[in-house]
Amino acid sequence: MWLDIVQTASDGLMVGGLYASVALGITLVFGLVGMLNFAHGQMVMLGAYVAFFTTAAGLGFWVGLGLAIIAMALFGALLERAVFRRTLSDPMMGLTVSLGLIMIIENLAAAWFTPDPRFMEPPLSGDVRLGPLVLSSQRLLVMALTTALIGGFYLFLKATTLGKAIRAMAQNRQGAALVGVKVTRVSAVIFAIGSGLAGAAGALYGSLFAISPFMGTAPLMKGFILAAFGGLGSVPGAIIAGCLLGLAESFGSRYLSASFRDGYGFVVLILTLLFMPNGLFGKRKARV
Amino acid sequence: MISATTAPARAVVPDRWARLLPWAGWLVFAALLAVPLVVSSRYVVYLGTLLALQAGLATSLNLIIGIAGQFALSHAAFYGIGAYASALLIEHAGLGFWASLLPALAIAGVLAAAIGWPALRYTGGIHFALITFACGELLRLLAANWDDLTGGPQGKRLPYSPEPLLGIDFSSGQGMYVLAAALLLLTLGVVAAIRWSRFGRALVAIREDEVLAASLGIAVTRNKVAAFVASSMLAALAGAVYAPFAGFISPEMMSTGESVAMVGMLIVGGIGTLGGPIVGTLIFFAVPEFLRVAKFYRLVILGVVIVVMVLFLPQGVVGLATKFRRRRRASVAEAS
Repeated sequence: MWLDIVQTASDGLMVGGLYASVALGITLVFGLVGMLNFAHGQMVMLGAYVAFFTTAAGLGFWVGLGLAIIAMALFGALLERAVFRRTLSDPMMGLTVSLGLIMIIENLAAAWFTPDPRFMEPPLSGDVRLGPLVLSSQRLLVMALTTALIGGFYLFLKATTLGKAIRAMAQNRQGAALVGVKVTRVSAVIFAIGSGLAGAAGALYGSLFAISPFMGTAPLMKGFILAAFGGLGSVPGAIIAGCLLGLAESFGSRYLSASFRDGYGFVVLILTLLFMPNGLFGKRKARV
Repeated sequence: MISATTAPARAVVPDRWARLLPWAGWLVFAALLAVPLVVSSRYVVYLGTLLALQAGLATSLNLIIGIAGQFALSHAAFYGIGAYASALLIEHAGLGFWASLLPALAIAGVLAAAIGWPALRYTGGIHFALITFACGELLRLLAANWDDLTGGPQGKRLPYSPEPLLGIDFSSGQGMYVLAAALLLLTLGVVAAIRWSRFGRALVAIREDEVLAASLGIAVTRNKVAAFVASSMLAALAGAVYAPFAGFISPEMMSTGESVAMVGMLIVGGIGTLGGPIVGTLIFFAVPEFLRVAKFYRLVILGVVIVVMVLFLPQGVVGLATKFRRRRRASVAEAS
């Protein structure tokens, strides 16, 4: 009984970490900058493909992970410059543009990479035994990596000047601009960081699950749920919400019904929005 | 002023054209509507029916998004509810097609009110958008997992067609087209009637400024919920008509991706305008249909069209035409 619960909890936390890294990008880009990028899930997909092709070329998973982060950060910077900067005034525009982008990216990916699912060679195989517990090593590695990513990002926010500028923008965009924060440039950096996180999440997803051109939808939806659940623009909110959702899903599918797995998140989201409209850590201004 | 004195003659001629533009648009629409009645090619009739249904769906979504300004992402779910409710009532309750419509609409209306009432109390679109998004996905998951009732994720084959009415046989392709076209015209009529009624003006006031609307004595939440219920019921009606047309329904038709695509149609065509959803639907469906390139690249081209249109033509096709007309009128007024 206890064993089962611990096992389920560790599964949940592992998936939750992945969710959190996607949600972080969304909560930053949407909550802080106000750009509604629905193509965020496609960045996860592209990141997974970058990692897959690098690994398949024999360069190894670690190079693949690094390349996925860099490639997606650059791609994000390009998108921000070319497209999303022009939609700042109207989130609806951002939504429609990203709908177009999703069509372009997904179908180009389907045409070039074929729609067949692919499986990446994970860097670790086998299990780790902790007393009676059996944990997959690759899952543990993913958990460690997401923790490192999120922790690193958190340090970046707390310790660097740029991080300070981002926090200032989160508090008050106009105030930040008045004290000399280059709001446009910081926004571009946030977009690039969010995309890089999506790329990393993609590489990690790809090491656990099948990679296909249409894999981006599920992480995107969960990312939006978590961004709202944690409070738009709140970094700790996104992380905690990610872990909670991972736990809710793994316990829900273990003890209630597995086929309704994706539904638990929506139930959580609806309840949150109805009774805590600003999310767990959102400020009162949380609105578009 | 300078342009008015230098080019009055040039301004007058385009003005006459510009004033004719909406009429020309509706004339083209009427002609397009008549095409599947004259050309009996199965493909044309099929495409016409599909387009009419989709245009009706987009028009009904325009009521809540374009006129009331509330960002609903559950439209596809209500489309599916209409289809499932009507089909299940026919299968299990022994009702006829026409008799199943009313209870199906009632189910959709009650559900929309139950979702809309708590969700629409908040100002600012994001809560409503997220709640309708989540509810829509929940409803889809419900349809996919309630195997005994809905047939599960594989979907459901539907053997029935609507009983003959007014001497029209709906088991033929053209009969279904007449029904779909009637649905489109009905939806257009309802939305237009709402738009220019007291209710519609209240919705526009709410869209522009909720606080101001409330201070004028408009019951903001009640009006928003009424608009959401009306819009969702129209979507359910379109779904109920779609079911016998396709002969097959599955939870796929309820996915949020479909709802988001409908929002895209509205924005491409011109949000808040009467003709916009129809133009948007035509662009969305006709462009890929007539581009004879490989499957994936059609959607890529459509994606490019959407991105370019939103960036450079944010009011949509119809919005641009309207603006052009107004500006011409203004410059002529200035010249005279």
